[in-house]
Amino acid sequence: MLTYTLRRIAVMIPIMILLSMVVFSLAKMMPGDALSGRIDPTNSSPEYISAMKEKLGYNDPVHIQYLRWMNDILHGDFGNSFIHKMPVSQLIGLRVYNTLFLTLLALFFTYIFAFIMGMYAGKHPYTLGDNMIATYNYLGFALPSFFAGLMAIYLFALKLQWVPASGSIGTGVDVNTIAFYVSKLKHTILPALVLGMLSTAGYTQFLRNDIIESSRKDYVRTARAKGTSESIIYNKHILRNSIIPIVTFLGFDIGGLLGGAVITETIFTYPGIGSLFIDSLTNRDYSVVMTITMMLSIMTLIGNLIADLLYGVVDPRIRLD
Amino acid sequence: MDPVVEHNTTKIPLNHQKSPSPWVIARRKFLKNKIAMIALVFLVFITVISFLAPYITTEDPAKVNIAKLMKAPSADNWLGTDNGGRDIFTRLLYGGRVSLTIGFIATLNITIIGTLIGAVAGYFGGKVDAWLMRFTDFIMVFPFLIFVIVLNAIFPKSGISALIFVISVLGWGGVARLVRSKVLSEKENDYIAAAISIGTPASKVIYKHLLPNVISTVIVQATILLASMIVFETGISFLGFGVPQTIPSWGNMISPARNPNVIQFKPWIWMPPGIVLTLTILSVNFVGEGLKDAFNPKSNR
Repeated sequence: MLTYTLRRIAVMIPIMILLSMVVFSLAKMMPGDALSGRIDPTNSSPEYISAMKEKLGYNDPVHIQYLRWMNDILHGDFGNSFIHKMPVSQLIGLRVYNTLFLTLLALFFTYIFAFIMGMYAGKHPYTLGDNMIATYNYLGFALPSFFAGLMAIYLFALKLQWVPASGSIGTGVDVNTIAFYVSKLKHTILPALVLGMLSTAGYTQFLRNDIIESSRKDYVRTARAKGTSESIIYNKHILRNSIIPIVTFLGFDIGGLLGGAVITETIFTYPGIGSLFIDSLTNRDYSVVMTITMMLSIMTLIGNLIADLLYGVVDPRIRLD
Repeated sequence: MDPVVEHNTTKIPLNHQKSPSPWVIARRKFLKNKIAMIALVFLVFITVISFLAPYITTEDPAKVNIAKLMKAPSADNWLGTDNGGRDIFTRLLYGGRVSLTIGFIATLNITIIGTLIGAVAGYFGGKVDAWLMRFTDFIMVFPFLIFVIVLNAIFPKSGISALIFVISVLGWGGVARLVRSKVLSEKENDYIAAAISIGTPASKVIYKHLLPNVISTVIVQATILLASMIVFETGISFLGFGVPQTIPSWGNMISPARNPNVIQFKPWIWMPPGIVLTLTILSVNFVGEGLKDAFNPKSNR
């Protein structure tokens, strides 16, 4: 296992380097100064631009620029955002907690609902309840997240006025009071529900089918023959085996923690990484765009790694070598 | 007790009646599947009326009409008008044309590229496989949405074909992996060994022997892809980084809903494209499910 992990990480390094080269090339292709964000785009005088280019080393050979850029990144320097007038790393640091709060809450909803519905449908297949859950799953697969988000805002925020329609915190709330956390939760619950409830469908379907398949296996028959009660068979024997494949999804979920909510955050104008990405593109704040691109790619890479490793951990029958 | 005679008598009628091919069985099963058939009819209907848009409505989908801004549904404009005074129903048809075209062409491209790369990797194995799969892994690391948006920002005003190109280039990883795994198990069969042993060239083995046996999986995968490509196009158009705003697409038609006034008080602007989009995706999924059942020899529904 350890050698596999180490080798898997070693394979990741060349991919990461290639990835950084792609991001670097894209940044070079972008108009303006996407690498450092230090050239003021509102100042169009050619003397200023060429002076800044010389100062920032943009006239050096490309590979030297690349190495310098990589060196900066490895030291935590991602350049500046000229819109927000602060280092990109600091800006992302401000937003990252909002996104994590939103996506973790969404993930919580996804797993809770998937477990309840999947277990019910798996235990009572082809009944009314199972069919209703199946209908829900079809809707969950078919509803595009942005339309679901708009409908949720329209119904629950504008018509019923249960929760606010946008933002992540109410105005005039002091930090670290109870009211602060309540307001935060109120703002986050609707986007989190939309995000979480839509991805529930896949997990539910998977869990249901796996439970039905497991319930026909020999060990279940043995358990029944012994006189084990149905609830223990389902909750202990079958569930333990059916959780295995679900756990491997967790790796991909971790990979999507920061980038999975771009559309949802934008619809709810929720100040996270995703909406920062879209806003920065609209405002031509390209140093922020490139940093987020790099960050999300690396998150995907790490998510794949975790998924692969979990695969071997939870199911000892899979031999990794 | 004469086994030879018995053998002969049972064999004769078998020779007369040809057993149905897997395709015939699949077609029968699919035709019997009510939900899938309804979904298919709906899908064909949406596609046909979208592509016949110029014959169905005489209104201009792109011309701004300041006299009729955001009018509620009426006899003149069945579904009302949008923030540019354009007829929603007309735009729904033209928008469907754009969204469906992008969906179909992107799906076709991705399926072809993915099948080709997957089949070559799976068939040849060894070094070819290792390199192609590493390349596939690399392509799949890119967060799809993010990279399409970034590329679109670098090359603005590049239009629909550029969008399809970017989607196709970044999207084939999943299909390649699937086809490779299918080909890997299929090529272990004796008939492949037989074909190779009589000197059939590799291209012909892949094209004539392997692909027909993995194509059902590819078709099912393609329906899933079609659904996700249509959603993807509408998603990035909604964000404003997909189809240029001047061309109506379902995503572009929903994007006015980002304006608080429109989402709250003018639901007729953004709800119809959303509902049609959802129904379309729903029926694509049902057709896909039906095909999956039809191709599965174990299902007897």
